[in-house]
Parts: sequence; C-alpha cells; structure tokens
Amino acid sequence: MASSLLASWLRLYPTVQVFATWTGITCAQVNSQDIPARQFFERHGGSTSGHTNNWAVLVCASRYWFNYRHMANALGMYRTVKRLGIPDSNIILMLADDVACNPRNKVPGCVYADQARSLDLYGDNIEVDYRGYEVTVENFLRVLTGRMDPSVPRSKRLLTDDRSNIFVYMTGHGGNEFLKFQDNEEISAFDIADAFEQMWQKKRYNEIFFMIDTCQANTMYSKFYSPNILATGSSDIHENSYSHENDYDIGVAVIDKFTHYILQFMEGINKTSQASMQDLFNIYDYKKFDSNAGVRSDLFGRPLTHALVTDFFGGVAQAEVLKSSLPEVRAEADFESWDTSPSSATHTDDYIVPLVLPDITDTGNSSTEPVPDNNESLFPEPHLMDLFVSARAAPGSLRGAMAGTARSWASTLIVLALVAWVCAKR
Amino acid sequence: MDFSVAFPALVAGRLALAYSPLSDWLKDDHLLSSPLTSYSRCAVRSVLPGQYTLVLMLKTRYLLNPYIWLPTLALSTSSFENTLCVLSLLFACQGRPSASVLTLALLTQLSMPLVLLLLPILLLIVTSPVSCLASPRPFLADIRKTLPLLAEFIAYSVVLSLAATLVCGNRLWVTQSWIAPLVLPDLTPNPGLWWYFFTEMFDHFRPFFLMVHLLIYVVPMCIKFQHDMLYACFLLLGVFATFKAYPTLSEPGLFLSMTALFPETFAYLHWPIVTALLHLHASLLLPLFHSLWLVQGTGNANFFYASTLVFGMANGAALLDAIWAGLRIALGELKDGCEVIQE
Repeated sequence: MASSLLASWLRLYPTVQVFATWTGITCAQVNSQDIPARQFFERHGGSTSGHTNNWAVLVCASRYWFNYRHMANALGMYRTVKRLGIPDSNIILMLADDVACNPRNKVPGCVYADQARSLDLYGDNIEVDYRGYEVTVENFLRVLTGRMDPSVPRSKRLLTDDRSNIFVYMTGHGGNEFLKFQDNEEISAFDIADAFEQMWQKKRYNEIFFMIDTCQANTMYSKFYSPNILATGSSDIHENSYSHENDYDIGVAVIDKFTHYILQFMEGINKTSQASMQDLFNIYDYKKFDSNAGVRSDLFGRPLTHALVTDFFGGVAQAEVLKSSLPEVRAEADFESWDTSPSSATHTDDYIVPLVLPDITDTGNSSTEPVPDNNESLFPEPHLMDLFVSARAAPGSLRGAMAGTARSWASTLIVLALVAWVCAKR
Repeated sequence: MDFSVAFPALVAGRLALAYSPLSDWLKDDHLLSSPLTSYSRCAVRSVLPGQYTLVLMLKTRYLLNPYIWLPTLALSTSSFENTLCVLSLLFACQGRPSASVLTLALLTQLSMPLVLLLLPILLLIVTSPVSCLASPRPFLADIRKTLPLLAEFIAYSVVLSLAATLVCGNRLWVTQSWIAPLVLPDLTPNPGLWWYFFTEMFDHFRPFFLMVHLLIYVVPMCIKFQHDMLYACFLLLGVFATFKAYPTLSEPGLFLSMTALFPETFAYLHWPIVTALLHLHASLLLPLFHSLWLVQGTGNANFFYASTLVFGMANGAALLDAIWAGLRIALGELKDGCEVIQE
C-alpha cells in the first residue's frame, strides 16, 4: 500500500517539481517587480501613500446671503487645492447659492474671506460643477457613489479609481449627525458612511480625507466604517462652530474660524511641501476655534506623521529623470559614489536615478520623520548635478568656444584689413 | 557763434543725454531703434559762401533732429546704417571712389534694401557733386567708368560676406539679415506701412510690395535727376524711408536732415508747413497710439496703423515736395502772367 503510494508519488514528482519551480519563479518575478515600484513611491519624502491621482469634492450646502461664509469656506478650499495642483477636471465644486453675483454683494463678482479683502476667491478662472438648486443630497450621494444617469456630463462626475485620494470638504449648518442642505433637506452621518462603504466596495478610492466645518461636526464622521478614511471636524457634540470675521461693508460674516485657520496653514504649503497631516492637526487649539475640533484616524492605515498634506490637498506628481537623456554620461559609477540614500544600494538598474526633491518648505511646518537629504549638502539642486557631470564629460565644448572667438577675431581682422587697404589706396 | 565752441557743446549735450536715465526708458523700443555710439557726421557740401555757418547749420539740423537722436537712445542699429550711408555719400562727393564703395558694401551688409543706392552712388562718383539743379544738363560722364567700381563693390561684398560667414560659422545669417526684408517674416509693429498690410493682404502680393516697389523708383530717379546725382540719392533715401520693409525713425530723419544740403530748393517747396505739421502729428500720435494699443490695451491696432499712415503721408509729402522743388528750380524765376503746370 505504502509502496504503491510511494510509486505513484515518485511518478508525479517531476510534474510537481516543475509546478513548484514555475510558481516560485513567478512569485519571485512579482516580488522583484514590486520592489522598484514600492521604492519609487517611498523614495520621495518617504511618502507611503500609494496614490496616483487626487480628487476633491467641495460642498457648500447652505443658501441665502447670510450664509456667505459657507460659500467663502468652500471657495477658499477650492482655491487652495487648485493652487496645489488638483486640476478643475478633478474637482467637484458644489455651491448652493451664488454670492458673487448676488444683488446684495457690494463688490460684484468677488468673494472675499477676510475683512481686508486681500484675496478674491472667485476670480476669473473658476468652475462650479453643481450650483444653486442642483446641490441636493441625492446629487451629492450620486457624485460619491458614481451611480448617475448616463446623460450626466463628465465634469459632474467623480471619476475616481482605486488609486485616487479624495478630499471631501463639507460646510453648512449641521447638528447631531446631520447636515442641512438647502434649507429643506438633510443628509445624515449614516448616509455618508454608507456612501463611503459603497465607494470602498467599488474600489473608488485609495484614501479619503473628510473635513467638515459645521456645528457639532465631529458627529458626522462618527459613523464611518470603511477603511482608509481620515476625518476631521470643527466642533464636538453639543458645541457650535463659530465664524471668524465680519465685513462691515458686505454686512455678513465672511469666513468661519476652523476653515480660516486651516487655510492660513495651507498658505504656507506649496507643492513640494513635506508637511504631514499631523502638522495640520497640531494647529488645532480650543483658544483659537472656540470649539473642540476633532480627528478620527482609527480607520486610516498609515501613521499621521507619514501622511503628507499634499497627499490630499495637492495634485503632486512624482517624477524621475531617465538617465538615457544624457548619453555621454557614465551614469552608474558616478552616481553610486554620490548617492548615499539607502534605497540606491539595492537597485542595479540604470534607468532610474534617485533625485531627491529638496525640502523647501518653511521650517515651521517641517515634518518630524527623517527625509533622505544626504545629497542636499553636496548638490542642493538635482539638475545642477547632471550639468556638472555632463560638463565634465564633454571637453570638446571648450574647444568649440575657443574656435568661436578665433573665428570672430579672424573676421574682425579681415574687415579692418579691408578698410585699411582702401584708406591706403586713395 | 563760434563753431569750435558749439560743436563740442552739442556733442557733450548729446552724450549727457545718452547717459541719462532716458536711454534706459527708450532702450529696445522697437519704434525707434538705433545704437548709441554711431554718431555720423553729415555730408559736408555746400555751394554757397559762408561755408562754416552753413556747415554749422547742417550739423545742428542733423544732430538736433529728434528722429535721429531718439533711435540712438533706443540703441538700435539704424544709426550705424545712417552713418555708413552718409559716409558713402561723403566719400562719393569727395572723389574717393573706393572708400565710397567700401562703405556702401558695409551698409549693404547691415541693411540689404540700401543696395539700391549702388546705382546712384556709382553715378555720383562718376559725375561731380556740384549741384546742377538750377541748370540741368544731360548725363555727360561715361557710364562704362562705373563698371570697374561695380566690380570693386561686388568684391568688397564678397569679402565682407566671407567675414560674416566666418564669424557665424554658417550661412544662416543670410536668411536673417538679407532675406528678411524681402520676405517680411516678422510682423512686429513698426513705424512702417507693411506690418499691418500683410496681416490683411494675400501673400501673393508680397514680392510686389516688398521688392518691386523699391526697385521701380531707382532708375527713373536716376534718369530724371541725371544732372544732380546727389539729389537723386537724396530722393531715393526718401523713397526708402517711406517704403522700406522694416523702417525706423532714423531713415526719415536722415531724409529730413539732408534737405539742409539743398537750401536752393526751399523757395520752391509747395507745402513745407503741411509737411512739418504732418510730421509733428505723426511724431505725437505714433507713441501715443502705440502705448494705447500695446501698453494700456484700450486701443487697437487700427489706431497705431492710422498713425503710421499719417507718418507715411508725411514722408510722402516731403518726398513729393522735394521732387517738385528739384525740378522747379530749373525753370527759375517766372515772368509775370506765366504759370507752371505739370503735363
């Protein structure tokens, strides 16, 4: 019995062995392909996000002139995400009312978020996707879940995929687990939570950052249950969120406290910033907001110190220079001696050159986690590095320059000789 | 007024103006265009007594002409062209043919349309610069004497082109420098007529307006003014000032300043006041409409084009008047009851 089993096993052994080696090879290939891709994402500022595109859904849910500040909140966020690189095609802006062209607006066509009117948030280049009565709970949920009529145009759709980071910002009048839309309907925290779960099931996001500025805002994110969601709200249960500044000419409050301080922080951020979400949440202060702003990060997969602000607010693309663009440069030998960041020692391929972007944010927002800045002291700008190498490698250019001066001297002498000859000829 | 005091004072004043902040403001203004250091002498020629006072008058008329010194403040190369043009005429008048031909070759290197001055300058070299406007006579000198000068000109041009090719390392300068005025690739607004014209007109007409239009004036002028070739040169300069492909302010400036060389024509000018006022109008409107169109944005191209039309009319009026006066001198004083009519 055992011998027959042994015999049959021995007969099957070669096929088993072939199968095992085949699986081993493919797994090894998958792993080896995975490594450069992961290294690419980890190389730049240590961001562990894994997203490839950014979207933003900015909702102002209340109408009427006295809710000017909610419109200004949403427009301030719009301007910020646009400035940091998210294009209009990736932003869904929903404004329930038009205060810029309201007859009561003293400065028509302009929306300001401060009394000094330093920055016009409306401007010339603005794209509002859902306006006026189109801002409804149904439309908002349809935008999130993507379940819409085929006739809805592309600009009104949230065309995200499983590598999209989405920034969802909502502002208006709210309460305990509800947000008022348009003065006649509400959306509840459960509705948003279920919408996010639908999005997760349909692989419509990589990570979501949910920010809400209403009264009792923290209740709105208390019901989420899908992974990879980071949420923040302006005030706790039984607390109000307050407006920040009034404009006495326009006659209404122009910005809310929570959004104002967030925007103030964001003004110090640019596309190359390495500031983390923890730095953003560190500005929360009861003395400034007059309310307990909250953060929910239990559903969020990464530590907050590793998540960059630009992972959600900006459309930052990572790019690397291919060495093949500089043909006469002896790439590998030179670069291995200069680049001392840990990831370079492992890779032997010469088509990827690690170019660490310099950290040029202001020092107040610097992240606590170590940025690989070994190259900065020697070569602060990556492209200068390449110029040095190519200049060193091409001695012929110096001869070319000398030939040029020789040629110009020669022609000058010819012209002067001609003039002298004619003058002497008489 | 002592010449030895006035002239240095003028030069000092001009240089002071050059180093003032005004030149920074005017620098690279494409309306003006001429470089700083070229400061040509005007042709010294006179047939009237009181030579030095006339010379002073000529010099001041050239140096104080705003059309001449504004382009130099704007650092354009058309001042060099003015210098070489006037030097060429000077050498031709002084009877130094090689020098004249060489400066003309240098001028052609800079500004190709001015090669059309070759014919009148060669004829000027061969004849005398003494003015015969009042007593015209047919062309006496031998045309065949111009042929060796023509060969000399071609030789100098070849040597200079070789020097230019040597400096550049290739022959691309030919298209940039010589072909450009014939083809008019760049329609940047300038005081001339063609930039607007060719945004509207079919390309079919480009060779006619750019090449033929300058060519057709040379031979008739030389024939009509064969008794005074310097006057023919002067009139052709006026033609070029009006119809050149990329004119600047210095060519009409040179033309207007050169009227000082022929004071005998002043009595016979039809409408000197009109010409002067047209020039005044144009010189006020050109920068105004340019700024209104391109700086402030409240005007449009038609404003500026209208002012260039006024400028062209001013040049044309001056040219026509000069032609009329040059021919009219020959008829002299009129007897009572007679009129001059043009057939």
